[in-house]
Amino acid sequence: MISNTKEVKALDFEISRSAEEKRELLYKDDICIGCGICEKTCPVDAIELGSIGAIVRTGADVPKIVCDEDKCVLCGMCSVVCPVDALEFKIDDESIKDMDEYPQLINSAEINDDTCIYCKACETACPRDSITIARDLPDRSKLVTGEIEIDKETCIDCGICEEMCPADAITMEHKLPTPDDPTVSSDIIVDKDKCVYCLICKKSCPVSAIKAACRTCSYGEYDLNPEDYKTTGSSFIDHETCVKCGWCQEICPVDAATVVKTFDGELSIDQDTCQACGACVDICPCNVLSFPESTKAGKRPEKVMSDENYCIYCGACESVCPVKAIDVKRTGIKHTPTKSKSWEKQIESLKT
Amino acid sequence: MPKHIVSGLKYLTAVELIREGYSQKEVAKILEMDRSTVSHYLNGRNLSWNSIEIAKKITEVCPKDFLILAYALMQDKARIVVKTCSVRDYKGIIKESCIGCGLCADICLMKAIVLNDLKAQIDSDWCCGCLICGESCPTNSIEILEVKNDF
Repeated sequence: MISNTKEVKALDFEISRSAEEKRELLYKDDICIGCGICEKTCPVDAIELGSIGAIVRTGADVPKIVCDEDKCVLCGMCSVVCPVDALEFKIDDESIKDMDEYPQLINSAEINDDTCIYCKACETACPRDSITIARDLPDRSKLVTGEIEIDKETCIDCGICEEMCPADAITMEHKLPTPDDPTVSSDIIVDKDKCVYCLICKKSCPVSAIKAACRTCSYGEYDLNPEDYKTTGSSFIDHETCVKCGWCQEICPVDAATVVKTFDGELSIDQDTCQACGACVDICPCNVLSFPESTKAGKRPEKVMSDENYCIYCGACESVCPVKAIDVKRTGIKHTPTKSKSWEKQIESLKT
Repeated sequence: MPKHIVSGLKYLTAVELIREGYSQKEVAKILEMDRSTVSHYLNGRNLSWNSIEIAKKITEVCPKDFLILAYALMQDKARIVVKTCSVRDYKGIIKESCIGCGLCADICLMKAIVLNDLKAQIDSDWCCGCLICGESCPTNSIEILEVKNDF
């Protein structure tokens, strides 16, 4: 008799069936956001969403979803509708993401490296830590020019310039004086790659041993190459963890980030019902929900507020709210076409 | 005894295939037998009429029992025997509710089902009417109709 096998690794699971073809469903708990869309879509009710509120708030070692391998028929629908790809489905080792007959949710997040100025705002804002910006800063020495010289005859090796230099460009070779060489320093060196010609050393030298001039001010940018000012780099989005929430797009000062969301919708919070317990704030994968700052010390915080710009309408907050104060409406779903009526129907049923 | 029934079933299949116009060589290939054995069978040698009679009775039992019995006796070779000796024709209809899980294709002993655009498709030539697919379908999307009955 043909039956499914299930393998559980920590909080993850794999369900598979091998007969005419090998079908596999792979679940990764660390990617799952506990939205419950798979539970709603499963045509055979094999998936059950756990008590995600408790799991997220206590960090309990239990998976966010449970799939009954005796009920699962390995159709792959849960994998297609999972907004974060926590469920992967493979047929004969090929992901259904690469198969035309299976529909796919349409969503994307991209950073255009030609426009990006590598300010790292997106990296800081990303609620899933999915963005890494690697940047190469311009050479400091190429942005200023000037001249500096220390007259070693006049210099009394006091070390004031070394201590004062904000760029750590001056180094003295300190030593103990000996009868045959009664000096405290053997040499004083200026690293011209570090020197920014601020003239602090010159001004602070008690014996006026330093001659220095900054050319950048007097000649403007005349002898500098604008190419040298540029910060270069590269951006990387980890699509495994990225939830396409739109934070990067909203925060980017130069519009280098573009995010396409799968769902259109509406998020509403009934302020009268809300008990400000914070479960929704904890579960939201997109930092959409927050409590406003308390206006007065000891004052109970205001009810939860939301910024829909970042919402992916996954509905996790709605299902976690213990007093049903949150309503997530999905009005549109972007997905690639499918010839199957039942799949179309199941996907469209996610609209509320 | 099972060996005799297998011979009987093969005999019936060979006779039917010849009647359908296959050559002895082709029949031997289809049944994976020696050509001489096929020839013996067709001339009624090496075979007791008793076995043929029992085999005949087996082809007439309900399709599911016929298939399961034949499959137990000769595994994958049962497909051609059941296809050829079946006295009834069937047509499978897949409803729109099919989710393309492929359970029916996995379970079909006749290998009569394939998936196409996330929907099962039943090859009427091979469908033997056993209804095993329908029993396993999670969405009750399979309907098997008997379109011809020579019994």
